[in-house]
Amino acid sequence: MKRQNREKIPAIVLTIVLLLFLLFPFFAMISTMLKSSTEVYASPPTWIPKDIHLGNFITVWTEFELFIYFKSSIIIAVGATIFNTLLTVPAAYAVARLRFIGRGLILYLFLVIQMFSPVIVIISLFKIMVGLNLLDTYFSLIIANTVFTIAFTIWMMNGYFRSIPMEIEEAALIDGCSRVQTITRIMIPIAVPGLVTAMIYTFIYAWNEFLFGLSFIQSKPKMPLVLGLYNFVGRWSTQWELLTMAAFLAIIPVLVLFYLIERRLVAGLAGGAVKE
Amino acid sequence: MADAPLSLKHKLWNPEARLAYILLLPAVAVLLAFMFYPIAYVLLMAFFKTNKLSQFTGFAGLQNFVNEMTNPEFWEITGRSMIWTVLAVATKTFFGMVIALVLNVNYRGRKIARMLFIIPWASAVPISSMIWRWVYHPEYGLLNYTLKATGLWPTPPTWLGYPIPAFTATIWVDIWIGIPFMALVFLAGMQAISEDLYESADLDGVNWFQKFFYITLPGIRHIVLIATLLSSLWTFNDFNTIYILTRGGPAGATDILITFIYKTAFEWLKFSRAAVMAFVTFIILTVLSIIYARVYFKQERTG
Repeated sequence: MKRQNREKIPAIVLTIVLLLFLLFPFFAMISTMLKSSTEVYASPPTWIPKDIHLGNFITVWTEFELFIYFKSSIIIAVGATIFNTLLTVPAAYAVARLRFIGRGLILYLFLVIQMFSPVIVIISLFKIMVGLNLLDTYFSLIIANTVFTIAFTIWMMNGYFRSIPMEIEEAALIDGCSRVQTITRIMIPIAVPGLVTAMIYTFIYAWNEFLFGLSFIQSKPKMPLVLGLYNFVGRWSTQWELLTMAAFLAIIPVLVLFYLIERRLVAGLAGGAVKE
Repeated sequence: MADAPLSLKHKLWNPEARLAYILLLPAVAVLLAFMFYPIAYVLLMAFFKTNKLSQFTGFAGLQNFVNEMTNPEFWEITGRSMIWTVLAVATKTFFGMVIALVLNVNYRGRKIARMLFIIPWASAVPISSMIWRWVYHPEYGLLNYTLKATGLWPTPPTWLGYPIPAFTATIWVDIWIGIPFMALVFLAGMQAISEDLYESADLDGVNWFQKFFYITLPGIRHIVLIATLLSSLWTFNDFNTIYILTRGGPAGATDILITFIYKTAFEWLKFSRAAVMAFVTFIILTVLSIIYARVYFKQERTG
């Protein structure tokens, strides 16, 4: 511990410098969202608003109708989370605990496909959504977000199921539980931390997703938050004080959720090299 | 001997395997329908002529590929995708390393610092990109104002208006988003290195740089490899940052394969062309993913 004393001061100084540098846009967002519409377009701009304008918080809900986009995002993200969980848990249990031919290959495949870009499939996926008459529906985004999270969540849950000692499950089987009962009564309750991580991951992915929304959704009432904000930027003269306020409100929920899973997420992505 | 075929059948079709198939079926069915089938379809499309409704109008053989390979624009964009990826990942690695080294020092408040450093990764990428667009605003943006007011850069460029500044500004946003992941992974690796190594190095009077190059860096070698691979995949795939900041402009200066595929298909309705580029992208991503998977599994076994 002694060796670190000499390093403390430079470390603290560097931390402050780096944080000021890296959080620059975050400060700019907070500064802008508290300005009046005239001060936003003042030249030269100001860092500290002349008068703090909290009215933007009201305006984004009333004029900008932020609640419409919040509602869509919540429906899509919750829908994708439920759908994803229903598919992930049984599949992850199978690859973690059951012996069958092709298990190694399937696990390998899951790890590889989690890296595929949505852009590669977007042309065909768009045609599929047209064919299924799902364009401009929440369901199109629920499916797309599920498909692009499922490989990672199965992979992550596989790790959690594997870390549960075999003996616990064997004891339950001897006591007369069926396989399905051991999954629902023993395995899932023990793996709850992993399950929560997988669910939050899916929720955040769906909440932040932009490309599928851009391609599948056309009408305002169906738009998720990210897309609603994007269309707002596209206008001729953007009201940045409202946009930054809306952005702030849209970021906060995922920020909180992200802190809950960040350590497990890093461990899941980097594999055995990183302990939680 | 006689029951050898029987045992193969038994291997494929015993109660345990049967249960596994049933449990895997829903997930695999969804992936087949909405991931593998679309990939196969787009790969096939690369060999066909298509109309503006993306319907197949005739077999093209390799003609679509020949058209692309002889088109300088294709090589320019592929080249830029590579430069984009290498440059961004290298810079992310550098900043990630600096932050990890800083956070590895046990000072008061580093837990809070760690949380603050995560913000760019934890925020929604499309939303951050929109904020950055405002920060880069030439007249009202706070970046140029601050650069001028502090005297750091008296005549900053119109960031998103000209090719080279636009490329710099866009790649910086991608870097900015990717730094925290690198920092967290490197930090986790550094914290797993035994403190004894540093203490005995101190007794030998070894300086800071020697400790970094002979103890820290070798200790996190595997982690650096896997993190840079992952980061390369994400960086190569970064659609949101570019599309929201510049849409590939000005004059195509910030287009990489991923954004170009999207524009070719959905804005210019040239589906065969988009499919050929998706084909190339698919190959690149598959190769990178397989390398990542191999490193990952190797690490699982040894680590």
